[in-house]
Amino acid sequence: MDGFSWLQYGFMKYAFLAVLIITPLLGLMGTMIVNRKMAFFSDALGHSALTGIAIGVVLGVGNADISMMVFAVVFALLLNQISSKISASKDTVISVFSSCSIAVGLAILSRGGNFSKYSGILVGDILSITPEEIIYLGLMFVVTMVFWLFGFNKLLAVSLNRTLARSRHISVFWMENLFAVLTALIVMVSIKWIGILIINALLILPAAASGNISENMREYHFFSILFSMFSGITGLLVSYYVNVATGPAIVIFASIIYFITYWWGRRNHV
Amino acid sequence: MKKNKYLFVFCMLLAIALASGIFTRTYLGLEKRQRELSGVHVVTSFYPVYIAALNVVGDSKNVTLANLSEPQTGCLHDYQLTPQDMILLSGADLFLVNGGGIESFLADVGKAYPNLAIAKASKGIELLEEGENAHAWMDTRRYSEMVQNIATALGQADPDNQEYYQYNADQYCEKIQELTEQLEEVRAVAQGKPVVILHEAYAYVAQELGMQNMYCLNLDEERQVSAREAAEVMEKISTHQVSVVLVEELYGKDLGNAIESETDAKICYLDTMVRGDYEADSYLRAVQKNIDVLRGILEHI
Repeated sequence: MDGFSWLQYGFMKYAFLAVLIITPLLGLMGTMIVNRKMAFFSDALGHSALTGIAIGVVLGVGNADISMMVFAVVFALLLNQISSKISASKDTVISVFSSCSIAVGLAILSRGGNFSKYSGILVGDILSITPEEIIYLGLMFVVTMVFWLFGFNKLLAVSLNRTLARSRHISVFWMENLFAVLTALIVMVSIKWIGILIINALLILPAAASGNISENMREYHFFSILFSMFSGITGLLVSYYVNVATGPAIVIFASIIYFITYWWGRRNHV
Repeated sequence: MKKNKYLFVFCMLLAIALASGIFTRTYLGLEKRQRELSGVHVVTSFYPVYIAALNVVGDSKNVTLANLSEPQTGCLHDYQLTPQDMILLSGADLFLVNGGGIESFLADVGKAYPNLAIAKASKGIELLEEGENAHAWMDTRRYSEMVQNIATALGQADPDNQEYYQYNADQYCEKIQELTEQLEEVRAVAQGKPVVILHEAYAYVAQELGMQNMYCLNLDEERQVSAREAAEVMEKISTHQVSVVLVEELYGKDLGNAIESETDAKICYLDTMVRGDYEADSYLRAVQKNIDVLRGILEHI
């Protein structure tokens, strides 16, 4: 095995770059999503991609990426809005939204029996990464970093206690919605090559694994990003050599890490 | 305690990396052994093309033949190339495809490997509904032409053995000819009869048998039949007094059963020959089986 033979392929270079950019982001966002018990929310977001594409197809938008992003942002805001107003439990509302958007997406895309054309998006396709996409990813990276630097403490305050946050003059509305939009955008830029079925695993698993062994926020973030990047890179390389889809390979590594840390955390009473 | 944790994480990641490294290495070792036979590397896009090429290559030691990793779904319409496929293609000298739009990824391949020779087996063969239905291998006559095209392409890639490939192709076509003759006999019974098909590939079978194709519902992987479509099929069957329906067993079984119980039409489960074992005569066996099924049913109408 020639250790770097994969670098001679353009698509692998792009995939590697994309993994380097996106996995730290997913690890970072994951910590907050797990903290705020939003795992279900991000899952629903992933599913909304189907509807986004479907709407793009109906409207005849040439580039489905745009309709996908716009719809995901709208979807996230709407979901946030409604779940904060309705008295039914949050997971019920999210579930309603999620199944509704899947149904609409499937109905439109399967019209005339053509769904197979879009099935690639379910498991992801790393060949779909283009240089242009890397630029998007880079932009997302910068935006998220800025948000994290300036907004993390506020966001943490909001997720701990909304009333407390308000008393500190933090706009709960803005923080929550900004976070939702950011999550939506990150999910959308990476969904085409990771796949709808497993994108959520990548958001949740590293953070959850990190939660198993961390004692403070700093550790929590550090391990989450470390696990995320590690499983991203190993998953990409193994999938290249062993001939499996990349998204699932990455998730398998993240799961292994989760189970090992779980066992370790239990034994050491972290 | 704290130090302990970082050490643990480090060891864990190292262990996982090592384990996956060893696993990958063994996997590659196994693969390499197969690929070591050098010569002309020919890659085929999917099963019928592979079987045809296998027969043309014969015992030639100068050619290594490989198929793209097997899509589980059968037909290639929605196939995504895996990284492994790209590696396989990067080492190939000739890429044999069916053509006619079945390989939707062909444009990507052309872009990624501008120097790779791509030969279309269906070149120069008249297809039904150009660009939509390229299941030409379903018709034994067209299949023979595909075999000849493949022989030509292989001859160009490996000129030293050109005559040998042509000889193999002719031998193989003779065997196909026997099947064509059998189909001629079936045609005598079937000609002019109305038929409904539940997979577009059977349009070629219907044509070869001279049957009148009344309706086609293209059932394949990931395709759910809606209630209206099912009703439409039944309606066509009764209005045109269709007595035979050609169905793909894997995806059409449920609808086939429903048709059998609701109407008087007989169901023929035919092989679309997009999957099976990797032996040289599997195409011949599959067609023979289809002929037997057709005979069994058409003679009792």
